[in-house]
Amino acid sequence: MANTMTQRVPTSSSVPNPDALATLRPPLIAGDKQPADVTHDICAPFERGPTALWWVAFAVSFTTLVIGAIAVTYQIATGIGTWGLNRTVGWAFDITNFVFWVGIGHAGTLISAVLFLFRQKWRTSVNRSAEAMTLFAVMCAGLFPIIHMGRPWLAFWMMPYPNTRGPLWVNFKSPLLWDVFAISTYLLISAVFWYVGLVPDLATIRDRSPAGWRRRLASIFSLGWNGSARTWHRYETVYMLLAGLATPLVFSVHTIVSMDFATAVIPGWHTTIFPPYFVAGAIFSGLAMVLTLMLIARKVMQLEDYITLRHVEAMCKLMLSMGCIVGLAYGTEFFVAAYSGNPYEQFVFLNRAGGPFRWAYWTMVTCNVIIPQLLWLRGVRRNIALVFAISIVVNIGMWFERFVIIVTSLHRDFLPSSWADYSPTIIEVATLLGSFGLFFSCFLLFCRFIPVIAMAEVKGVLKSPHHAHEHESVKGDAA
Amino acid sequence: MKSRDHALALVSSRLGWLAIASAIVLAVGGTMAPDRIWSNLLIVGVYAVTLALGGALFIALTYVANASWNVAFRRVPEAMAVVLAPAGVGLLAVLAARCQQYAWHPQNGEADAGTFWFKELWTNPTFWMIRAVAYIAIWLLLSRMLVAASRRQDHSQGLGFTLFNRRLSAIFLLVYAPTFALASCDWLMLLDPMWFSTIFGVYNFAGMVEATLAIMIILSIILRRRGPLRGIFTDDHLHDLGKLLLGFSCFWMYIWFSQYMLIWYTNMPEETAYYLLRTGGPWGPLMIANVALNWIIPFFTLLPRPWKRNESIMLKIAVIVLLGRWLDLYIMVFPATVGTTPMVGIWEAAGGGLAVGLFGWLFFRAFTKVPAVPSGDPLLAESLHYHC
Repeated sequence: MANTMTQRVPTSSSVPNPDALATLRPPLIAGDKQPADVTHDICAPFERGPTALWWVAFAVSFTTLVIGAIAVTYQIATGIGTWGLNRTVGWAFDITNFVFWVGIGHAGTLISAVLFLFRQKWRTSVNRSAEAMTLFAVMCAGLFPIIHMGRPWLAFWMMPYPNTRGPLWVNFKSPLLWDVFAISTYLLISAVFWYVGLVPDLATIRDRSPAGWRRRLASIFSLGWNGSARTWHRYETVYMLLAGLATPLVFSVHTIVSMDFATAVIPGWHTTIFPPYFVAGAIFSGLAMVLTLMLIARKVMQLEDYITLRHVEAMCKLMLSMGCIVGLAYGTEFFVAAYSGNPYEQFVFLNRAGGPFRWAYWTMVTCNVIIPQLLWLRGVRRNIALVFAISIVVNIGMWFERFVIIVTSLHRDFLPSSWADYSPTIIEVATLLGSFGLFFSCFLLFCRFIPVIAMAEVKGVLKSPHHAHEHESVKGDAA
Repeated sequence: MKSRDHALALVSSRLGWLAIASAIVLAVGGTMAPDRIWSNLLIVGVYAVTLALGGALFIALTYVANASWNVAFRRVPEAMAVVLAPAGVGLLAVLAARCQQYAWHPQNGEADAGTFWFKELWTNPTFWMIRAVAYIAIWLLLSRMLVAASRRQDHSQGLGFTLFNRRLSAIFLLVYAPTFALASCDWLMLLDPMWFSTIFGVYNFAGMVEATLAIMIILSIILRRRGPLRGIFTDDHLHDLGKLLLGFSCFWMYIWFSQYMLIWYTNMPEETAYYLLRTGGPWGPLMIANVALNWIIPFFTLLPRPWKRNESIMLKIAVIVLLGRWLDLYIMVFPATVGTTPMVGIWEAAGGGLAVGLFGWLFFRAFTKVPAVPSGDPLLAESLHYHC
């Protein structure tokens, strides 16, 4: 034993090979940018005014939003009977959309908080827009339960506060109430986190803008930022604390959404794997939406140097791993249904794969498990058009996942005489479209008025001119 | 250098003697309380296999993440992964020796695993044993390949080995997830043949990673104190392992709560039977102790930054977490195999002694066979200069 131990001191062979380091640690930002270039490039789109393309996109999104608003007004005026629900399928399109949008809202906090704690520097190019997307997606999600109440003006009854309504009080035993707390906390923390991250960039806008409304607003919201070391120090402490607080929220929100189903005794809904399975699915769908939007933004706003193939690849790898986890969860549910010997469980899963909604089930499996496997190939991950197509496919697949879980578990219940079919009405489809209109309108406004990339953070990951010297010193020390 | 080697050899030989003494006690016990001895050996086997597999999992995760912070002490999880071979053989021997310990086994008369054809097929003793061999063989093959490439890199300093291991790690993760979920079902969930829970694999994964991080902390600290990793394994590495332990401790609690709460809330007899057995009578305090050891204590003690950088505090927390992992397995195994009253005595102590002694002895044997630092890894310099 003693003989072998003598060789154990690192020798000169630990000098890093510069070529190897260049392969393993390629620069994050392309185009040899200086800090001033970053400010100029990121501020340019909103300083020069909207392009024709922006106006077209905004017109389309806003029109869709108006269609949705009309549909919502109609269904509230007429009643929830305008939906395609029946006595057996009492939950369908509305809650599918709710879960879909909550899921989309997950990648933002994952990228901004979890990847921050894991020191993944590539997040700096996408965190700002991913967080904005989170806020808009959670807003869209919140709409659906409120519409479902039928009398949305009484939505404040969900809040437990001393009131004069006698025995009317919220039910703390219901996961639907937990949703209220989980989602409102998530929205609040995400908004604060997003805003805190924005402060240094707002100060940059303040300093660049000529006197006028933009400068005045940026001045108010940058909270007197002066860029001193003390300011930065405090900023970084707050950012780190908020990241730590936001991380459990990535798990809690979709865990509680999953409990809306898993606390029921309905086969197909009640299964213990739901909490982590829903969280993985939410991150999966959120990453797909981030990719969809960022690939467009990258092209339209000429951000190719900031959102490089390396960023796209990293997101693809994360998406692939989440897709595999979701696939494993699908497999586990099937396996345990067979293993348990429970005929009701088995019926639900066989009915999913072979019953009247099999088209939805197989769409889900194809989109979420089979097609994303293409991302194992480096060539696919670096092909923007293909990645864009896969991200759209995953978005579709994840919508269908929620539809399959919700509708197929309900439509053939324990009593065959009450078996029913379900198809959405035009009102329900218009409401979904309207939520997309709201989401894209908000996102387009965000692109117009706020830097889509966190300038201050990107400047921190630029390859500095001193970089070469750093390597020299590392070499020397190691030797 | 000599005295350091001597110090390490001393630890190693003490662990070896502990293993031998524990094995003798267990052999005696085998004639007096075979059910308890077998249950203890199952815990020892699962414990050792999951720790070794955890080493390989940690290596694979850091490769796919392109991480460098762990490179300086990567030989620790690598040596843990090498223990998979003897641990795996040991577990297979335990499973083969008394598989009638599982209630569904045909030797117990009328099998009560359910009458569905799939369950009958799944609990066919031959098929069950073949699966166990297959899981361990696959893990062994992939983990050996990971370790071998890392060791070969010492001589050639090629980037190729890093890239090879990165690809292999992705395959490892893809294979590991379903096989480990099925293995935890086969070895532990099938002890209660009528009970089922879809989250069970994830639950065992959480426990496995938590214990793996704890043992890595202990082993790295010992190696730093005794010489080989002095000046290499830094407080920054310890700090990051502490952060990961904090995270996975919370993850374990999250999964524990998800399983317990959903079963408690729906209150369906076929599911609650598992917890009724494990929360009633004297098992109740043990359930609470399980939560305390695996989450409450590590959570509060790992929050302050200075504590995560303090060697002696981290050692204590890691020992608590490892005790928690043992208790977690004990609660899964004993109510099903031994009876409704928890029994902790000399046989259980000997089981623990065997796990510690054998795993430790095999680990130090594997660790000292190769250089303590992967000197050919291009990311080693980043790791040695790492600050968190």
